Amino acid sequence: MFDRLLIANRGEIALRIIRACRELGVASVAVYSAADAGAPHVSAADAAEPVGSAGPGGYLDVGAIVDAAKRSGAAAVHPGYGFLAENPLFPAACSDAGLTFIGPTAEAIERMGSKVEARRHAVAAGLPVVPGETPEQDAASMKEAAARLGYPLLVKATAGGGGKGMRVVRTPGALPAALNAARHEAEAAFGDGTLYLEHLLDRPRHVEVQVLGDAHGGAIHLFERDCSVQRRHQKVVEESPSPALSPALRDRMGAAAAALARHIGYRSAGTVEFLLEGSGEEARFYFLEMNTRLQVEHPVTEAVLGVDLVQAQLRIAAGEPLPWRQEDLRQRGHAIECRIYAEDPESSFLPQAGMLRVYREPRAPGIRVDSGVVEGGEVSVHYDPLLAKLIACAETREGARRRAVAALRQYAVLGIKTNIPFLVRVLEHEAFREGTIDTGFLDGPGAALAAPAPPDAARLRAAAAAVAAHAPGRGTAATASAATAYDPWTALGNWGRTLTKAR
Amino acid sequence: MRSGIFTVSSGDETLRLTISAEGDVRVEPGQTSLRVATAGPDTYRVTDGRCSWMVTVAGDGDERQAFVDGEVFTLDARAGEATPRRSKAHAELLAAPMPAKVTGILVEPGDTVSRGDLLITLEAMKMELPLHAPRDGTVASISCQVGELVQPGVRLLELSS
Repeated sequence: MFDRLLIANRGEIALRIIRACRELGVASVAVYSAADAGAPHVSAADAAEPVGSAGPGGYLDVGAIVDAAKRSGAAAVHPGYGFLAENPLFPAACSDAGLTFIGPTAEAIERMGSKVEARRHAVAAGLPVVPGETPEQDAASMKEAAARLGYPLLVKATAGGGGKGMRVVRTPGALPAALNAARHEAEAAFGDGTLYLEHLLDRPRHVEVQVLGDAHGGAIHLFERDCSVQRRHQKVVEESPSPALSPALRDRMGAAAAALARHIGYRSAGTVEFLLEGSGEEARFYFLEMNTRLQVEHPVTEAVLGVDLVQAQLRIAAGEPLPWRQEDLRQRGHAIECRIYAEDPESSFLPQAGMLRVYREPRAPGIRVDSGVVEGGEVSVHYDPLLAKLIACAETREGARRRAVAALRQYAVLGIKTNIPFLVRVLEHEAFREGTIDTGFLDGPGAALAAPAPPDAARLRAAAAAVAAHAPGRGTAATASAATAYDPWTALGNWGRTLTKAR
Repeated sequence: MRSGIFTVSSGDETLRLTISAEGDVRVEPGQTSLRVATAGPDTYRVTDGRCSWMVTVAGDGDERQAFVDGEVFTLDARAGEATPRRSKAHAELLAAPMPAKVTGILVEPGDTVSRGDLLITLEAMKMELPLHAPRDGTVASISCQVGELVQPGVRLLELSS
């Protein structure tokens, strides 16, 4: 195992990786931009290196991060998700500098990063794919290709991800505008405006399969996550098992995902995403894309399988074989993850920035919160508005749902707006209770959930009594210094460092 | 904890509260009796004898926020019986939530708009950010231009009723 590992990320995922390092006795090195000098991931790590000014720049700077790793004496680099996690230049630069990259090979990232090539490999591995093509990019060829596929259809960026550069087109007349908008977005986000056209499935669900491969040719799947609760192609709630899969279909999808991982010689954790049309025995699944990194929603899999995916990634990168055999893995119970975003559902889900005057995470049996913020901390406009993830697990789906709702109702955040009230409304909605939500739900029939219900009169009176009685200044924790006192890593003092030295 | 007479308003609703030094609360209208006690930093336990709520509060001026059971209330709380200011709902300012570029202005001063109508589009962090009308009203003024970089909190458009 490595002595020292650098984490090329920030926020909750950096803290998640630091936790895994601590458990394995690996010293952790954080990187930070000027805006993040006092951020929780910096205090949690054993050491930290600056990588640039405020803004995302430093976290995207391959050279600066490789330099920081060498300066700090790290032997390995974990990219987390986002930023450099799917940039094939990063593992290549790491290997040139003699650093181990925690993730797949640059070739695997490159192959799966292009929608066209990924699709080719999926077909070769025997996976079903959605009908689609990448025509010549001129208007006439695009129009002809669209006519061949039929409407409605989906325009996608070949270099894309995260919903950027994606448009639904329902009529031929809407095609030119959609192509222009998608190309503009794709160029801005990925520096590549190449577009791809695809048949649009009828109310599909998004079901993805976690895979894990080692450097010795081994590959297994770790069952599915259902991420159908999406808003404009951004996942909001994820769960496992999927309420839409029959046992036979689950086996087939798992086997298909593992076959793709084996086919491309995949190493480390990855996710094979599928769209599912229909349900039960009638359902059909299609390969969508493969994400060559750890996913935001990986805790859902960890909760139902009782595994630690980040530790598995570290072991695999250190040359160890897969920690589990396929037959050792069984789904137990049910897990639901809610993404806590700094955004205002009542104003088109606009990202919010400002100080977290109150930030109190719930604690209860079966509740895990992965977060990257503390009370009194600033949420900056420079980065992703994801504050935290709340994962509830219980023996049944309904048990996990109730547990998640109860925990969200105790998740007090004030100072900036969050989607917590919206998440409660989603989880309490009949369609979620019944497990029938498809990927179009939140943008279609569920769009009204963005607006709050009329306030409950009793709750409003209780709130009025508390705000009137509240005497600020006494027992108020909403200052930066008070927030530091609540930070367990600060309270830990030099203990973390001592542990590392003693190892 | 404070005691005395308070006027608390939320949107169109105004409540008059009398809080004793022991934390007994009388709420009017409705003649509701509650009891409030400190339960932790910024946190109060409020009960009506049958149900109880944990309420977390932020804000040191008149405008305060309360978190109860997964809901957030923004309330104006004033000591005494003073009539609260005219509700802010009558003239509403639309502002950017973050530094952003104005990419489109879809209305003109004098236009009548309905709740939910798209008024202005912004772009920030490679995302399109639409600004919708929070309610029905008339566009009183527009104080931005297409292509302009705007800072958060600065008025872009004023809506009157």
